[in-house]
Amino acid sequence: MIENENNFESVRRLLALKRHEVPPPGYFNHFSRNVIQRIRAGQPAQSESFFDALNAQTPWLGKVLNLFNAKPVFASSFAGALCVLLFLAVVNGERADLIAQTPLPVSAPTSASLAALSPTALASSANQPGIVSSTNPVLSLQPFASPFAQQPALAQPVSLTSYR
Amino acid sequence: MSAPVTRTDGSETPAPVEEEALVRKARHGDLEAYDELVRRYQERIYGTIYHMTANHEDANDLAQESFIKAFQALKSFKGGSSFYTWLYRIAVNKTINFLKQRKNRIQMSLNDLDFNAEHDPDLVALISEKTPHRDVNLSELQEKLNEALLKLSEPHRLVVVLHDVQGMAHDEIAKVMDCNIGTVRSRLFYARQQLQALLSDYVK
Repeated sequence: MIENENNFESVRRLLALKRHEVPPPGYFNHFSRNVIQRIRAGQPAQSESFFDALNAQTPWLGKVLNLFNAKPVFASSFAGALCVLLFLAVVNGERADLIAQTPLPVSAPTSASLAALSPTALASSANQPGIVSSTNPVLSLQPFASPFAQQPALAQPVSLTSYR
Repeated sequence: MSAPVTRTDGSETPAPVEEEALVRKARHGDLEAYDELVRRYQERIYGTIYHMTANHEDANDLAQESFIKAFQALKSFKGGSSFYTWLYRIAVNKTINFLKQRKNRIQMSLNDLDFNAEHDPDLVALISEKTPHRDVNLSELQEKLNEALLKLSEPHRLVVVLHDVQGMAHDEIAKVMDCNIGTVRSRLFYARQQLQALLSDYVK
């Protein structure tokens, strides 16, 4: 054993350097006071890191963040997915706004459209109970016209008794 | 009252009788008594954690948390070992758990060397013409030493810190680490061997 001690004499000497590493001056003057204050307050670490506090309060979120920290590829994939979602949301929102703001094209009714709006066509669609709105997305997005407004009727009024 | 016990590093372990009284008072919620206990052990607990983490901020947090945890757990302290050993165990376990959690995020934040370092006979002898790197300065040596220590496993680093830096006896270390003296000795031997290999440029 003594031989071993002699073998490592230079390592032991070098380790003596560690004893000279000292915290900032006055550090221990406030140490016990900080500890006692924290005990009195009964709250978690004053200088506890954000991640530690998060871990304590929401362990699952802490685990996710730890995973991101350990494997940055997950973090970048997650961030990428969020960016794509955000982009899609912005594009969809703009499209919806554009559609809502576009006025209905007022054009002369063609013979085909008039045929589609003919009393027989309207009657056949009215015969299907429950279908009250058009499947045309443009029409469906239009604000409802007031039932009292005077609009040129393109078709003859239909009796609504069939709905009852 | 019994006399204080002088340790190998020159510091004194306070008399056990007085300590028992302080622990008893602290257990009943006497914060002044606990404040006294904190003052007694703050430097050694902080020192051990600091030498394990090589980071002042982490050591500060962990040392404070160790004392807080010890206060909260005082009721479970049966007195089978000394308060000092029990407190050390709390601090050491907390530190090892912390190091395991943050294995990939270890960042050194080293304390400054005190004025006496330049006059330490061990270091003066070390940085002599016999040292291969004569031009090495103490700060560089400090950094290399801490880097080498961080490369050791936690149990090996702990044994070196407690024995070679803190001056704790083998049997005390065995109590703190909850293992036998043989294990402490073999870990110490292996850790020093590792350090010698890692620091071969700086030691003869």
